[in-house]
Amino acid sequence: MIYGDRKTGVLVQGATGKQGEFHIGLMNAYAKQVGGRGVVAGVTPGKGGQQVHGVPVYNTVKDAMKEHDIGAAVIFVPAGAAADAIMEEANAGIETIVCITEHIPVQDTMRALAYAKMEGASVIGPNCPGLLSPGEVKMGIMPAALFKTGNVGVISRSGTLTYEVVDELTRAGIGQSTVVGIGGDPVIGQTFVDVLARFEKDPQTKAVVLIGEVGGNLEEEGAKSTNLPIVSYIAGVSAPPDKRMGHAGAIVEGGEGDARSKIARLKKHGVPVASRVSEIPEMVRELFRCGC
Amino acid sequence: MKLREHEAKNVIKAAGIPVPAGILIRSPDELTPHIAELGDAFVLKAQVDVGGRGKAGGILMADKATGMKVAKELFARQIKGLPVKEILAEQKLDIQHEYYLSITVDRSSKQPLILFTEAGGVEIEVTAKEHPELIRKAVANPLMKELPPFLIRELVGTAPKEIGPVINKLYKTFIEKDALLAEINPLVSTPQGIFAADAKIIVDDNALGRQGITVNRDLTDREREAEKHGFSYVELDGKIGVIGNGAGLTMATLDLIEYYGGKAANFLDVGGGAESERVMNAVRLVASVPTVKVIVVNLLGGITKCDEVAKGIIAAGISQKVIVRLAGTNEAEGRRLLSEKGYEMLDTMDLVVKKAVEVTA
Repeated sequence: MIYGDRKTGVLVQGATGKQGEFHIGLMNAYAKQVGGRGVVAGVTPGKGGQQVHGVPVYNTVKDAMKEHDIGAAVIFVPAGAAADAIMEEANAGIETIVCITEHIPVQDTMRALAYAKMEGASVIGPNCPGLLSPGEVKMGIMPAALFKTGNVGVISRSGTLTYEVVDELTRAGIGQSTVVGIGGDPVIGQTFVDVLARFEKDPQTKAVVLIGEVGGNLEEEGAKSTNLPIVSYIAGVSAPPDKRMGHAGAIVEGGEGDARSKIARLKKHGVPVASRVSEIPEMVRELFRCGC
Repeated sequence: MKLREHEAKNVIKAAGIPVPAGILIRSPDELTPHIAELGDAFVLKAQVDVGGRGKAGGILMADKATGMKVAKELFARQIKGLPVKEILAEQKLDIQHEYYLSITVDRSSKQPLILFTEAGGVEIEVTAKEHPELIRKAVANPLMKELPPFLIRELVGTAPKEIGPVINKLYKTFIEKDALLAEINPLVSTPQGIFAADAKIIVDDNALGRQGITVNRDLTDREREAEKHGFSYVELDGKIGVIGNGAGLTMATLDLIEYYGGKAANFLDVGGGAESERVMNAVRLVASVPTVKVIVVNLLGGITKCDEVAKGIIAAGISQKVIVRLAGTNEAEGRRLLSEKGYEMLDTMDLVVKKAVEVTA
């Protein structure tokens, strides 16, 4: 596993909101199933002293940290408050911060990530489904029933497309070590490169499925950074050309970013790229067969 | 959302960046009282929300004698199919040299990226490709409100010193206006000093509310209707309507349609946690496009509950064929509801897409 295991205590920021409450229930149901600690504390300013599914709620992250051993946090607060939540958790000393919240203005994200980096925290997301290590820990909103323990790591910029891939893998009898949704925004914390570096150090992970999308070149940077065998899928081959980011976007990305050229560059680097999601399991099996 | 040229120029002018004297007119008559302040020669620029307007005939030169006639001519034109409702009339600058300056969001470094080159006057993409060494780059720490002086010195290099404050002011504008892009192309030197001859600002759609922008002009009417419901929606030119949850899965569904030789008419991402009423609205919206012959619903339940989705599809009561793939939370109940009403349900996304392509072939 990477980022956490059964022993990791999880904090939920935005615990008393509709999404926070719903997913504390699901995360702790999973923790119970695998014998893990799960969500041990919630935070909502002004709601300290309440309980959500039996989990105590605090006014601040520091208050919660005084009472519990916490290694990771999951954020469900509205977009306007999410950057502040990231910074509060990083400042309190939480190592892994998963931000589920979508629609955060990118300037807020840039500031929060720069701050978190200064504090030494790793941020997953924003606008992501979080992560799940089957049999160990779930931090986020992934549907646990689809997963199976195994040795394939999955990294994805998508939410539901990740579940689709996991579903295909599990049906084919291929289990997963850890599945990480890194988020669909232009600016995100942990990138393919960061997660792949963790997978390289993880003895359980033998191969990685890398699910990308149109935009940027982080998939290629990831593929170049690792020695692990990779199968990739890039969504958006048929997508209408994105609204260009003026001249500057074209320069920064050097004309990169559309799905076809991204796929071509991955293949050039020796990474097999599936043209349909349903082809992925067979391609993973092929990786194991040839031992490459 | 992209600001129009005159809006972007007002923003940077308020930040202290010099722009040419100019006025916005909505009819040729509005030009008359201002002709004196514009000088002997001036430029008329159509304010239309489309790129490449110069080459499309949206920018015309004029002077005191011809001003009215040229303005009438430009108001009568269509620029790439768009009517000209506003014209920016601007003093013609005595340009000595052109520069390029922009600030954008850099995905790799996760910081604002500033680009400056003294080799302006040609297409910037061409310079980037053929002479990348002529483009100076710097990333800014987003926790700082201003750029440090050394960074500005590095960017300006041997160019006129007056450009330094322009870079810092554009950076502050970029931050304060929640911009994804702030670009001055060209930035020009004249005997009267430095001016922003053109300006482009794109505001982050996720920050429109706090920037006081109530209507996103970049969207079509149907896209705006979709946005009201919290959907993302894009129109294409095929016959298959697509509803999915999550941008990635929806995109993958479109790719699969193309793989099997079909074409999508539109796609709608209902987002997470779709209740029956949201799904009903989504189905009706997609079905309201006349070219849609069949609708593929491909939903994988994470937060989404399949029984809610089924209720929404049934409640929409549309005339087109709906082919459904549902998996995840409360899947069995969703299947039961749909099959009771005779809807076609298939097990995988490959199967639903193949079927839809067959139906429309």
